Amino acid sequence: MELDVQTWLKIAAFSGGGLAIGFGAIGAAIGEGHTAAKANHAISRNPEMAGDVFKSMLVGQAVAESAAIFSLVIALILLFSEFSATSFIMVWAVFSAGLCTGLGAIGSGIGAGYPAGAACEGMVRQPEMSNRLTTNMLIGSAVCQTPSVFALVVSFILIYTDYSTKPMWPMWAAVLGAGLSAGLSAIGAGIGSGLVAQSSCEGISRQPKATAIATNSMLLGQAITQTTAIYGLLISFILLFKNYPASDAIAPAMALLGAGLCMGIGGIGPGIGEGITAQSAVTWIVRNRESAGEITRTMLVGMAVSESTGIYSMVIALILLFVV
Amino acid sequence: MQDLGKIHQIIIDLGFYKMTFNVEVIVMTWIIILGLLFFGYICASKNKKTPHLFQVLGELIVTKLYELTEDAMGKKLARKYSPLIVALFMFLLMCNWIGMIPHMGEPTKDLNTPLSLGLMGFAISHYVGIKTKGFKAYIKEYFEPMFFMMPLNLIGELAKIVSISFRLFGNIMGGSIIIMVVSYLTYSIILPPFLNAFFGIFVGAIQAFVFTMLTIVYISSQAK
Amino acid sequence: MAIEGVDLIKAAAFLGAGLAMGLGAIGPGIGEGMAAAKACEAIGRNPKEAGLLTRTMLVGQAVSESTGIYSLVVALLLLFVV
Repeated sequence: MELDVQTWLKIAAFSGGGLAIGFGAIGAAIGEGHTAAKANHAISRNPEMAGDVFKSMLVGQAVAESAAIFSLVIALILLFSEFSATSFIMVWAVFSAGLCTGLGAIGSGIGAGYPAGAACEGMVRQPEMSNRLTTNMLIGSAVCQTPSVFALVVSFILIYTDYSTKPMWPMWAAVLGAGLSAGLSAIGAGIGSGLVAQSSCEGISRQPKATAIATNSMLLGQAITQTTAIYGLLISFILLFKNYPASDAIAPAMALLGAGLCMGIGGIGPGIGEGITAQSAVTWIVRNRESAGEITRTMLVGMAVSESTGIYSMVIALILLFVV
Repeated sequence: MQDLGKIHQIIIDLGFYKMTFNVEVIVMTWIIILGLLFFGYICASKNKKTPHLFQVLGELIVTKLYELTEDAMGKKLARKYSPLIVALFMFLLMCNWIGMIPHMGEPTKDLNTPLSLGLMGFAISHYVGIKTKGFKAYIKEYFEPMFFMMPLNLIGELAKIVSISFRLFGNIMGGSIIIMVVSYLTYSIILPPFLNAFFGIFVGAIQAFVFTMLTIVYISSQAK
Repeated sequence: MAIEGVDLIKAAAFLGAGLAMGLGAIGPGIGEGMAAAKACEAIGRNPKEAGLLTRTMLVGQAVSESTGIYSLVVALLLLFVV
């Protein structure tokens, strides 16, 4: 049975769309469930605050859901738009686009649930701080979404690039690798940033005077936590925009796929690890404001060192791309 | 978009070896060095009773970074190495910030700059290690905890150069590529200034600080 | 397209190198993060010992990074030696 490009494209688009929303739903569901659990806990402690807690739960869940909505957008595009198959690479590109947004939404969804839960609990503890807590939660969970935005950007580039002049081998592997790199590396960064934002919300509710320092150190921690996602984005851009000589061999294609996988998987661990570090640092900066300088410094060094395995992954990916 | 990853090079053929010069990096580095020298001259030229703005700024930078160095290294080493640390930080900060000016490129975007600075820190830290502990104790540390761990300790030590330099390179390069691609996709509407503010000012300052901090830590860990 | 043995071995080595470093980065990343988290906590409790605690943290991180470095070595061996 011989299938033409258009049929393959449909097959890839449908399976990619399914994977996009399938993976994308994991994170948001876990995150929102966490928020709801914390909100229930909070209401049981202080039923009079039920209205406020309910409101901030819904706001927090709405933000946590945005990553899943990105996946939905990509899934709908894949399902309903008519792609003109200029090249067989397009088949892999649409599949990879679905995978990329789907995987990228997992971390952001889980991560954004943490600050929302902490804000609900904090509101009950310190009713006067409700507004400040909501603002901090919104900032924190919005920053959690950036890795999934990176994945979304890569998916759009994957779908709307013109591949007609590119060689089929090894470009198909580059396309798949680009999706995996941006998608997988977003998981760690998303979860990590969520942990940081959680401790910041908790800190504000325990120490209302430390509000400003809690928000600032949260933003610092989140920014560094997301560096591995930036490496993932870098590798996927290089994979997409580099020009490859056409070859029939399998090895160059596998090198490109390996580069994407290496950076993607390698970004998960450092992202979560840096998140754990910054979480603890923010907690203790709030409790012990006098030694904020020392803690920030140790946090920066500790995060930089725990990022080094992510950097080794980037080095291997760059070697796979440029040297071998 | 077409000039992604394109660099202007001059290649001089010496017959037995081809020397490659990356013109943009050299020019940018010299602009930064001259700028910093000029800044230093203004800061240090004081002849008034009340300190002027630049003097306050200069003293602020120097004292803050000196305190940082002294905390980690102790007084004796800090006296010797704090000028290096201050210079390193200011140089890296300007390197990471200069990309925000149109038609200027960060020298740290080229792997050669971070790699050479990383090698410098590595060499200095090992020099300090040999000097404070003595050659025998220094060598002995590589055979801890067991003698056959030597190759792995050696690789672990060399991996420090890789991680410190690629961290800076990856962040600055990643930032500039992301700014370029996103500006291209959005036809340079609205987004680029914010991206520049984040990747240029914020990430640039953090990475300059992390690089400096790690150099301090490497030196002080060898001295102990 | 004819598949040659050498090509297939090279392909496997490249993919293996990528997977080795990628998977090997997960554990040390999280572990070192935990070490740094505890160091931050300890400095929060006892800021006077910041220098000692940072140094201990770095030694602990260096040890827990060693598995990541093994992955790096294996990946480099797969890329350049095999």
